[in-house]
Amino acid sequence: MSSVLKAEKVSFAYTRVPVLENVSFDVQSGDYVGIIGPNGGGKTTLLKVMLGLERGRGKIELFGTPLKQFNAWHKIGYLAQKSPVSQARFPVSAQEVVLMGLTDHHGSGVSVGELKQVYAAMQQTNTRQYAGKIFHDLSIGQQQRVLLARALVSQPEVLILDEPSTALDGTSREMFFDLLAQLNQKYHTTILLITHDTGEVGKYISKFMYVDKTVVFFGTKEEFCHSKAVAEKLGAFAQHTIDHLHNQHGHCPLGGTCQECGK
Amino acid sequence: MIEFLSYGFVQKGLVAGTLVAAACALLGVFLVLKRLSLIGDGMSHVCLTGVALALVTSTQPVYMSVPVVLLSSLGIMKLVQKVRIYGDAAIGIVSAAGLSVGLLITALAGGFNTDLLSYLFGSILTVSAAEAVLCGLLLLVILVLLRLFYRDFTSACFDEPFAKTRGINVSLLNTGLIMVTSIAVVLAFKVVGIFLISALLIIPPVAALLVSRTFRQVLGWAVCFGVISVWVGIYISFLWDIPSGASIILINLLFLSGSYVFSKFGKKSHD
Repeated sequence: MSSVLKAEKVSFAYTRVPVLENVSFDVQSGDYVGIIGPNGGGKTTLLKVMLGLERGRGKIELFGTPLKQFNAWHKIGYLAQKSPVSQARFPVSAQEVVLMGLTDHHGSGVSVGELKQVYAAMQQTNTRQYAGKIFHDLSIGQQQRVLLARALVSQPEVLILDEPSTALDGTSREMFFDLLAQLNQKYHTTILLITHDTGEVGKYISKFMYVDKTVVFFGTKEEFCHSKAVAEKLGAFAQHTIDHLHNQHGHCPLGGTCQECGK
Repeated sequence: MIEFLSYGFVQKGLVAGTLVAAACALLGVFLVLKRLSLIGDGMSHVCLTGVALALVTSTQPVYMSVPVVLLSSLGIMKLVQKVRIYGDAAIGIVSAAGLSVGLLITALAGGFNTDLLSYLFGSILTVSAAEAVLCGLLLLVILVLLRLFYRDFTSACFDEPFAKTRGINVSLLNTGLIMVTSIAVVLAFKVVGIFLISALLIIPPVAALLVSRTFRQVLGWAVCFGVISVWVGIYISFLWDIPSGASIILINLLFLSGSYVFSKFGKKSHD
């Protein structure tokens, strides 16, 4: 296991009010991390700071390299919370959008190898049939799957996903999480996923990170779910999450036996 | 028509107008999609300061305007990046500053003669051979940049945060785009006038976006609309003895109307 994303005493503020304070964690290769926390807790901002989209204070390392010197961006796939096209008539096809995920070439040409990679990623996300369609003409859910293909096309070692399933229907969501689980288990892809849907993704996740201005908790799901002390430490939101996990499934969906309730 | 083309000033105007219209159309596509289309308007107002300074110091307006507009465009970038204010607000601030300083210089110099009016509304008579060459160089630079960084530009235009996570230096691309646009604005004010430069950056791309289904088509149609409007506009300006800027922009508006009608009632290109 090697360090993939590491933060040491990272802080960030848009204005004077801090959004993140003294954030420290170390995500290891192969981890499947569910990032949870209250609205406004800084989850999205944390991912942006880790990717250099916002400039924070502190030390950030990607694959052991300081963020400023990091250039192996093909190792990272990113899917943001919002679809990029809010304006009408941005004339790019779904295939061209997926192609944007590749970084080897900058000019106007497309190689056969690149096209093969694009089609493979679209096959994975079941979007091959949209290849020639204008991205803007697709539904939000279809767009989200195309954007996932764009995140996957460079065959990244880390996938960073910000609430990726909100626009997906039930079937697509199931396919989406199955694909992530497959990538994590089969290809050892490290996944960081911001989610509010702990019940659905809880069974796949190996670690939880609870963010509320700082990383309040980062550990395995068993530690998170079965420790009364952790629940007390994290307060109402985390207790609600644990209750949700237990009540929805009638037993702990994460496996094992809770030391406190015996379920 | 032959008589029209036999005049040296018409030839220079047509060459410069064609080159600058193509350059503005290509740049405009990116500016419109990045919602920076009013930067042309802001820069053109700043041009007034350059022109006023040139008229006071008896130098060529183009050469005086280029550094003034470049500095102003960098000012807009800094306001957006460092002070973190919205792009349109930054353009408005710099534009107002440029116009005020230009008017102040004009007033202090006791006003100018018709030279200033020709810059405000465009006059094809004032285009020199050297300026036509500069227009050619500008278009060449844009074409080379597009050829080398086409995917980076489209990616940054489509989804800036994601482009950053691909290692694309979006800040450098934006700075380059705005600086090249500044030079295009300066070179275009002889053809369409300070007041109408932004139309050359906005209308052809918007019309092209209405009728295209791929990004390459947008670039192609925008250049076609821009260049044809310059040819027809200059011819009408010669025939009726009216300012070239006004006639060029009116032809552009006709293209925009036609594109809108085509997009509404023509073949549904997106189906």
